Amino acid sequence: MNLTEWKQKCAAVEAEYKKQIAAAADADVLEAARVASLGRKGALTELLKNLKDFSIEEKKEAGPLGNELKKNLEAAFESKEMTLVAAKLNADLEKTNIDLTLPGAPVAAGHYHPLTIALNRMTAVLSKLGFVWADGPQIEEEKYNFDYLNIPAHHPARDMQDTFFIAGKPGMVLRTHTSNVQVRYMEKNKPPLRIMSPGRVFRKDDIDASHSPVFNQIEGLYVDKNVSLADLKSDLTAFMKGLFGAKAEVRFRPSYFPFVEPGVEVDVKCVFCDGKSPCAFCKGTGWKEMLGAGIVHPQVLRNVGIDPEVYSGYAFGMGVERLAMMLLNIKDIRAFYENDLRILRQF
Amino acid sequence: MKILYSWLKDFIDVDLPAAELAAKLAALGIETAELKKTGADFEGVHTAKILKIEKHPNADKLSLVDLDTGSGVRKVVCGAKNLEVGIIVPLAREGARLGSNILTAAVIRGIKSDGMICSADELGLVEKRAEGILHLDKNLAIGIDVSTLYGKPDYIFDLEITPNRPDLLSHLGIARELSILLNIPLKKINLKPVKEEGKAFGVKISSSLCGRYSGRTVRGVKNTAAPAWITQRLAAMGVNGKNALVDISNYVLYDLGLPLHFFDLKSIDGGINVRAAADGEKFETLDGSKLELNAQDLVIADNSKVVALAGIMGGKESGIKENTYDIFIEAAYFNPPTINKTAKRFGMSSEASQRFERGADISLTLTALARATNLVQEICGGTASAATDVYPVPYVSPEVVFTPQDIYKILGMEIAEEKLKQIFAALGKFDGGKTPWKFTAPAHRRDLAHKWDLAEEAARFNGFENIPVSSTRASVAFADNPKNVDCGAKFAAVLTSAGFCECKNFDFISGRDLDNFYFDKKFTVELANPISEEWQFMRPSLLPGLLKNAAFNQSRGATDYKLFETGKEYANMKGFPVESWAVAGIVCGAASPEYFAQKTVPADFYFIKGLAAQVIKDFEGVTFAVSKTAPAYMHPKICMDVLDGGKAVGFFGRLHPLTAKAYGLKNDEIYVFNFNLKTLEKKFKAQEFKPAADVPQFPSSYRDLSFVFDKSLHYAEIEKAVNSAGVWSKMSYNLTDVYTGPNLPEGKKSVTLNFSFWLMDRTLKDSEVEDNISKIAAALTALGGEMRK
Repeated sequence: MNLTEWKQKCAAVEAEYKKQIAAAADADVLEAARVASLGRKGALTELLKNLKDFSIEEKKEAGPLGNELKKNLEAAFESKEMTLVAAKLNADLEKTNIDLTLPGAPVAAGHYHPLTIALNRMTAVLSKLGFVWADGPQIEEEKYNFDYLNIPAHHPARDMQDTFFIAGKPGMVLRTHTSNVQVRYMEKNKPPLRIMSPGRVFRKDDIDASHSPVFNQIEGLYVDKNVSLADLKSDLTAFMKGLFGAKAEVRFRPSYFPFVEPGVEVDVKCVFCDGKSPCAFCKGTGWKEMLGAGIVHPQVLRNVGIDPEVYSGYAFGMGVERLAMMLLNIKDIRAFYENDLRILRQF
Repeated sequence: MKILYSWLKDFIDVDLPAAELAAKLAALGIETAELKKTGADFEGVHTAKILKIEKHPNADKLSLVDLDTGSGVRKVVCGAKNLEVGIIVPLAREGARLGSNILTAAVIRGIKSDGMICSADELGLVEKRAEGILHLDKNLAIGIDVSTLYGKPDYIFDLEITPNRPDLLSHLGIARELSILLNIPLKKINLKPVKEEGKAFGVKISSSLCGRYSGRTVRGVKNTAAPAWITQRLAAMGVNGKNALVDISNYVLYDLGLPLHFFDLKSIDGGINVRAAADGEKFETLDGSKLELNAQDLVIADNSKVVALAGIMGGKESGIKENTYDIFIEAAYFNPPTINKTAKRFGMSSEASQRFERGADISLTLTALARATNLVQEICGGTASAATDVYPVPYVSPEVVFTPQDIYKILGMEIAEEKLKQIFAALGKFDGGKTPWKFTAPAHRRDLAHKWDLAEEAARFNGFENIPVSSTRASVAFADNPKNVDCGAKFAAVLTSAGFCECKNFDFISGRDLDNFYFDKKFTVELANPISEEWQFMRPSLLPGLLKNAAFNQSRGATDYKLFETGKEYANMKGFPVESWAVAGIVCGAASPEYFAQKTVPADFYFIKGLAAQVIKDFEGVTFAVSKTAPAYMHPKICMDVLDGGKAVGFFGRLHPLTAKAYGLKNDEIYVFNFNLKTLEKKFKAQEFKPAADVPQFPSSYRDLSFVFDKSLHYAEIEKAVNSAGVWSKMSYNLTDVYTGPNLPEGKKSVTLNFSFWLMDRTLKDSEVEDNISKIAAALTALGGEMRK
C-alpha cells in the first residue's frame, strides 16, 4: 500500500464511522462501531499499524495525519456517547411522577417574642446613633428610683407612678422606670456619656387593654458639653427615622417630668396616614404621642456629682409595648404576657 | 381641672373658638382631655301642653297631637312613642333655631305639622340619640321659653395639669397663662372693699408647717340657697350645690385657686390655733371618718379641740350647717409635703388637698378672703370683722441671674431678645436692662427657680415647634453591651433555631406557685403591696411562668410545645433581695415538628441534654454531672447539673410529674432546663473571638469497634477508658449504636463506636491505626467488655 492509497483508506474509514456515529441510536450500536473502528482489531487501528511500512519521510506526513484522525474519531464517539446518556437520563426524568403539592418538611423554627423583636429594633437604631447599652437592677433603692431623680418624698410627682414596695425592706421598690440606670451610670462614669437603658419597669396600675403592671421601657441619656433641646430633637428625629422610615418627623410639646427641665412630650408624625385621612392609629390628628423627654434637670446632675454649669444632657424614654403594638398591630397589651403560641408563632 | 369658657372670660377677654383655645393650651403643655359643649343652643322653643292624641290617618307610626301653646291650639305630627295627654313638652315653631338648623314648615304624609315636639338630643341637651320626646316638669307654665330653663351655650375644658403647676388649677391661673401667650391683659379681680365692723378674730400659728393664715368672721348670715349663676358654674365643675356658704367656698377655689375653709363660729372655742396634732389625738371629719392623728399632722384647733385637718378636711362639729349664723373664713397656706403625707395616710384626696400639696399661692390669701367675704355678704348678708393675717416669714422668691446666651445654650436655638424680654416681663419681676438679666418669679410660680426653668418658659411661649432639627452628633467612645445581654442573645439564638418560642411573663408569682415548686418563702422576695395574691412574690425561677404558659396553651389546644424565657430570677439572701439573669425552657411532646412522611419522636431526656450541650458548646470548662440532689420539683433520677468548675450554673432534666400535674398539664412528661447567666456570661466574652483550629490536610482512618458490656455500665465509664487508652495520634469518635435484645445474653448491651484517627503532618500507616485500636480494645476489655466479632 503506498501513501496515497493509505490516505484514501483513512478518509474512507473516517467517513464510514462518522456516518455510523451519526446514525447510532443507542449506546450498544455506538460501542460496536467504536470497537470496529478504534478497537484492537478495528479498521483504523489496522491502518495505523501500516505506518511502520512507510519510509521516514512518508512517516513524517502519515504519522500526524493518522493520530489526528484517531483523536477526531475518539472525540466524535465521546460526544455522541454524552448525547446518548443525556437523552436517556432526560427520558427517565420525564417518567418522574411525584406530588409537588404535598407540604414541605417543616424546619424546626422557633420564634422571638414580639417584644424582643421591637426592642432589638430600637436598640439597633440607637446603637447606630452611638448609644451604649446599660443595665441596672429591677429591685431598686428609693433614692435611685426617686430621690436622685428630683422626685422627693411627699411630692405629688412621686404619686404619678404607683409603686410596688418590697415587704420587710423599707426603701426598696420595684423600679417604676429605667431612669435608675441613668443615675447609677452617671455615678460611675464621667461625661461625655451616651447610653440607652432598655428594661422592665413596674407600676401598680390596673390591668386593661393598654395598661400592664409589668412593662418595658427604653431610655436614652446623653451628657456632654453644650447638649441642648435642639440636640434632643435632632437625635429623636434620627431615632424615629430608624424606626419608622426616612419620612418620620417629631414634634415637641411642653410637659413635666421631675428629672428634666425643660420637659417635653414628643409626638411622631403618623406614618400610616400622613395626617390627611381618618386614621385609627393617630385618630386623625396626624401625630402620635411616643416619648417623654427633656434636658436633664440640673439638680439630677448635681446629685451625681456632675457640674450643670459645665455639662448638660438630655434624656428620653418610651414604652416598648406601645411601639410593638403599633408596629405589629397588637391591640391588647395583655397579649404580650399571655404567650399564646398561635400569636407567638406569627413572628 | 375643669375650666368653663364663660367663667374664664371673667379674667381675660378671649373669643377664640373652643377647639382653637384647646390647641393654644396644648401648645403650652396643657392638654385638654375632653372638650364638652353645654347649655342650650336653641331659640324659639316654648313649653306646650298635650291636649289630645289621635292616630295619623295615613301612617301607622305617626300621631296627630293637639297642643295648648298658651296662645291657641296647634296640631303637630309626631312619631314619638312616649306621648301622653297632659304632659308639658318643648314645642319648636316654624323659624325656631336648633343649633345651626332653622325649622321650616312641613307636611308629613299629607297633613301639615304646625311645629315639632323636640327630644333632648334635638335640643342639643344630650350627645346621643334620645328615645322619644323630652318630658318637661309638669308644673311648668305653658308658653315659656324653654331655653331659659338651661344655661347658655358654653364649653367645659377638662384640662390635665401637671403636678408642677398648681397655679393652673383655677380659672384665674389659666387666664394668666393665656394672657402671656396671647398678649392680652389680665382683667382685675372683681373685688369690692369690705366694710369691716368689729375686731379681728384671734389666730395663732404654732407650727412652722403653716406659712400664712388669714381669716375673718362674718356674723349674722342667712345660709340660703346659692344663686343660679354660682350653682350652674359649680355644676360645670362637677360639684352639686349644697347651700350658699359651702357653695361660695367651693366657688372661690375654682375661681382663684386658693382653697378656703368656712367654720361655724358657734363651735369654735376661743380663737384659732394652727398647730401640730398630738400623738393619738382624735378627730372626726365632716364626712364622719374618725381619725387618730399624730405629731406629723397639721391641724386647726381652738382652745379645746381640733376643728379641722389643715388643708384636707373640716371637722364634723365645726362644719357649716343650714342654720349656721356666724362664720369664720379661713384663707391659708400650708406646707405641701405635710398635706401630701397626711392626705395619703388617711386616703383623703380632696380638691383642697391637691392644691395645698402641690403648693398654693401664699400671696393670695387676703384676695381670696375678700372675694369670699364679698360673695357671702352679697348673698347671705352679715357683718364682716376686720381681717386677721398671720404671716410669720413673708415668702421671698429667689432671684435668677442669667443671660440670653444661657437660654440659647439650653434650647440650642436663639430667640429674639425682645421676645424674651416680653415673655419674662409678663411672667414676673424682670430686669432686662443690661446683662446679666434678673428675674424674680411671683409667689404662684415657685417652679421658676433657675435658668433651666426660664429656658422652658421661653421655649413654651415662643413655641416648641420652633426648636430646630440639625444633624446628630455623638462624641462618645464605643463600649460593649452588658455581658448578660450578649450571652442571653446567644442562648436565645440557639433556642429559637431549635424550634423554641420565646415567652415573657410577669416577674410575679403566687404563693401557690411557690408551693408547687417547694420554694421556701423565707428565701423569696415578697411584695408589700401586690396587686393580688396571684402576684405576691418575685419569681425565684422562670419555670412557674413557663408552666402557666403551657397550661394556657393546652387550654387552647396545643399539646406539643417548646418554650423559653430570658429574665430575672429573685431571691432573698439573708434579708437582701438579689436578682440575676437566667434562661429557662420547657419542652413537651414532639421533638421535631409533625410531618406526614416522618414519624416524630417525643422529646426525651436526651433531647434536652443535646439542647443543653448546644447552648453551652462554646463555654470552655462547663460540664454536666448527674445531680446528687435534684431540686424537689425535678424527677429524682432524671436531672443533671451544669457545672462551671464545681459550681452549679444550671440544670436540666425531667420535671417532677407532680409539679406538672399541679398546673393541670395532661402530658406530665416535661423536660426543662435552667441556666443562670451570672457565671456563664463571664465566660461568653472570652468566646467571642475563638480562634479557628487547623483541619488535617491528610486523610483520616476510620474503624468501628463493638463491645458487649454489662447493661449497668455507664457510657461515661466507656468514654473514660477510651480517652485514657493511650492513643497517640489525633482521635475522635462517635457512638453509633447501643443495642440490647436478641443475640445478646440477658443483662448485656452492645456498644458500637466509630473512630477516626489522623495526624496533622502525614497519613497514618495501617499498622499504626491497628496499634491504636488494639490499645482501645485492651482498655475496654479491662472494663469488663468483650469485643464482638
